[in-house]
Amino acid sequence: MFNYVFRRILQMIPTVFGVILITFVLFNVVGGSPALMTLGRHVSPQMLEEFDEIRGFNKPLILGLWAETRTYEVSDFKRNAGPWREVDGVTHHPDTDRDHSHIILAPDMEYAIPLAFPPRAGTSFRWTLEYRLSSDGSASFIYDKPESEENDISFKKRRIDIPYSDRWRKITLPFNAGEQPDELNMRLTVEGAPIEIMAMELERRADHILDSQFVFFIRQLARMDLGTSHVTNQPVTRMIREGIGPSLKLTVPIFFVGLFMAISLSLICAFYRNSMMDRMFIVLAVALMSINYLVWIVVGQYLLAYQLGWFPVWGFETITYLALPIIIGVISGLGTDLRFYRTVMLDEMYKEYVRTAFAKGMGRGGVLFKHVLKNAMITVITNIIIAIPFLYTGSLLLESFFGIPGLGYMGIEAINSSDVDVIRAIVLIGAVLYVAANLLTDICYAWVDPRVQLK
Amino acid sequence: MTTHAIHRDKQTGKSLWADAWSRLRHNRLAMFCLLVVILYTGVAMYGEIVYRWHQWHDVTPPYQRTNMELQYLPPSFLLSPFAVDDGEEVSSLKQAVTGISNLMRHPLGTDGLGRDVFQRMIQGTRIAYMVGIVTSLIALPIGVVLGCMAGYFGRRVDDFIVWIYTTFASIPGLLFILAIAMVVGQGLLGVYLGIGLTMWVGLCRLIRGEVIKHKERPYVTAAHALGLGHFRIIFRHILPNVFHVVIVSFTLFFPAAISTEVFLSFLGIGVEGEPSWGIMISNARLRLWHGIWWEMAAATTALFFIVLAFNLLGDAIRDALDPRLRTGK
Repeated sequence: MFNYVFRRILQMIPTVFGVILITFVLFNVVGGSPALMTLGRHVSPQMLEEFDEIRGFNKPLILGLWAETRTYEVSDFKRNAGPWREVDGVTHHPDTDRDHSHIILAPDMEYAIPLAFPPRAGTSFRWTLEYRLSSDGSASFIYDKPESEENDISFKKRRIDIPYSDRWRKITLPFNAGEQPDELNMRLTVEGAPIEIMAMELERRADHILDSQFVFFIRQLARMDLGTSHVTNQPVTRMIREGIGPSLKLTVPIFFVGLFMAISLSLICAFYRNSMMDRMFIVLAVALMSINYLVWIVVGQYLLAYQLGWFPVWGFETITYLALPIIIGVISGLGTDLRFYRTVMLDEMYKEYVRTAFAKGMGRGGVLFKHVLKNAMITVITNIIIAIPFLYTGSLLLESFFGIPGLGYMGIEAINSSDVDVIRAIVLIGAVLYVAANLLTDICYAWVDPRVQLK
Repeated sequence: MTTHAIHRDKQTGKSLWADAWSRLRHNRLAMFCLLVVILYTGVAMYGEIVYRWHQWHDVTPPYQRTNMELQYLPPSFLLSPFAVDDGEEVSSLKQAVTGISNLMRHPLGTDGLGRDVFQRMIQGTRIAYMVGIVTSLIALPIGVVLGCMAGYFGRRVDDFIVWIYTTFASIPGLLFILAIAMVVGQGLLGVYLGIGLTMWVGLCRLIRGEVIKHKERPYVTAAHALGLGHFRIIFRHILPNVFHVVIVSFTLFFPAAISTEVFLSFLGIGVEGEPSWGIMISNARLRLWHGIWWEMAAATTALFFIVLAFNLLGDAIRDALDPRLRTGK
């Protein structure tokens, strides 16, 4: 038994890892820039960079040394000159046919490179430049690096020459931002002939090769830190701790009342199987199943709370506020449950031990409650345990309609405001609970049912 | 009864499908549901034609045309159709003509912007079908291919695929769909991917189980002995024998996808700018409090009957196709 449990726990690890991987892929790889998604396009690049810095989104994805930075706004020069729009002496040359759109920097001038904000102090950067420069011209990248020696700041002029090239050529120009990057004053000088630039990109060097988003995410999880909500500015772990209470107050009664009703009705169905009553219940169950959850909520709230005034319409103050959501939750889930448990009961009804019980002259009720129910309990228990994680997520719609401040409400709010950290945390915790519940089911199964062999 | 059925099967040599069809045909409820489904399909196709026609001619379709004067018109069958505004005497023929034309104008009333609810309901059917079909086209192939590979090859492949689907199954369903839709962006694409990429798991599990059973059957061994390739054995020999699982899954998957789309659109993550049932319900929700119930009623009734028809049909098809249930009777 102990070996079995131990092995099952080991099997959990890949699944949990898979869940972490999926949330990572979903939110970090596919999702584009979470900063843009949450803050919108109308904030300064510096704010976006800070958002990314807190959440580790400005690092390389999984492995790598060079990370993107918003210090210089990358542009492909297809439509306009990008950040170079306002710089004198720069002309934009669109060439979309051959995908060679570029900007031309007129000769014999010195250009201040248009940066969105000063680069981060004490960090190495590199420019990647794709350019063309004829042989009678020359260009170089110049910056004044401030160097302080005992309260005395002197500027040292650093110069990197750009070699001439008739064809499009790509080079990288590394530099260090030093301690006072706002004094860095980066320039590009062009002499003799114009330089044509097709692409230009600034990258920041990460601390080490594993300083990546993925490692950041894993380390965050290892610290049990689920991030910070950008809407409420609270740690997500605290928000979840506060939200789980109201959620459980709603879902636990729904679950147990629903379970009790479904099992009782399914026993009645099994008792009178193939009678009018049984058929009526089946049709009723399918009809209940087919009515959308939304409709239950909207119509229930309108009729019972608003029109008839039997229940409060919205809020979470006393226990009466929970009554209507619980009733709606029970009714909307009843159809599916009833059908499921009826199948479970009928499956047992055809087994040999039931026939034996009938053969020895036992009454129908006795067989049903003493034998069938007891054997069906294995499936029932499995079903109960597997439902536990769904109790935690609460009911998204019920909570947001009735204003119950649980996790479901939180989830909907977070999705409406694109609060990445909150959604990621809820998804992740829900998944981990599901995996744990699965483990628990298997253990219970092995423990309760002697027919299950512990392979 | 059973022996007779077996005997008859031997004589005529009916295929599984022909047999299932003859069973289904005698089930009156299932036939009725099939009729309902066909009706809805026709309506959806009509909606698609209307949509395409107006897009082609670049005019605003009638279901988007707003008219503030006709705001909140109740369904025309509730108004007394033969009422004539001016008091002067009119012939009964003329009365009948105005009555019928009034009836035809807005059979299910108008919404808050004076748009015709009936036409919007038809467009909602089109959107629902689009979602059902496209998500099936995403989810079913993934489920079938992965399920077949896992069941057939076993070992490492099986472990890997089982790992993938347990992972997917672990993530809370609706939240996962919402998260995908949010990440992909609003609009139909997010809905398609959200539903399609999460709902293949059940089918994959079923197919894997069936393929594992079939793998050891003599006909597969014979195919191996003939030197056929794995690909051919899986898709030409085993798949047709487990295909009933796909059909049954599809009939249950379709209404689930439709319902989920309604959720997403209702929450403002799904369809935008087009009259989906979810959007209609969402719009009608607040108006319901003012006693304007017809938009709500139209969308929810349309939704209810298609889901009910598919659920009942799915049950009937499963009963007709599943050999295990047949021997049990």
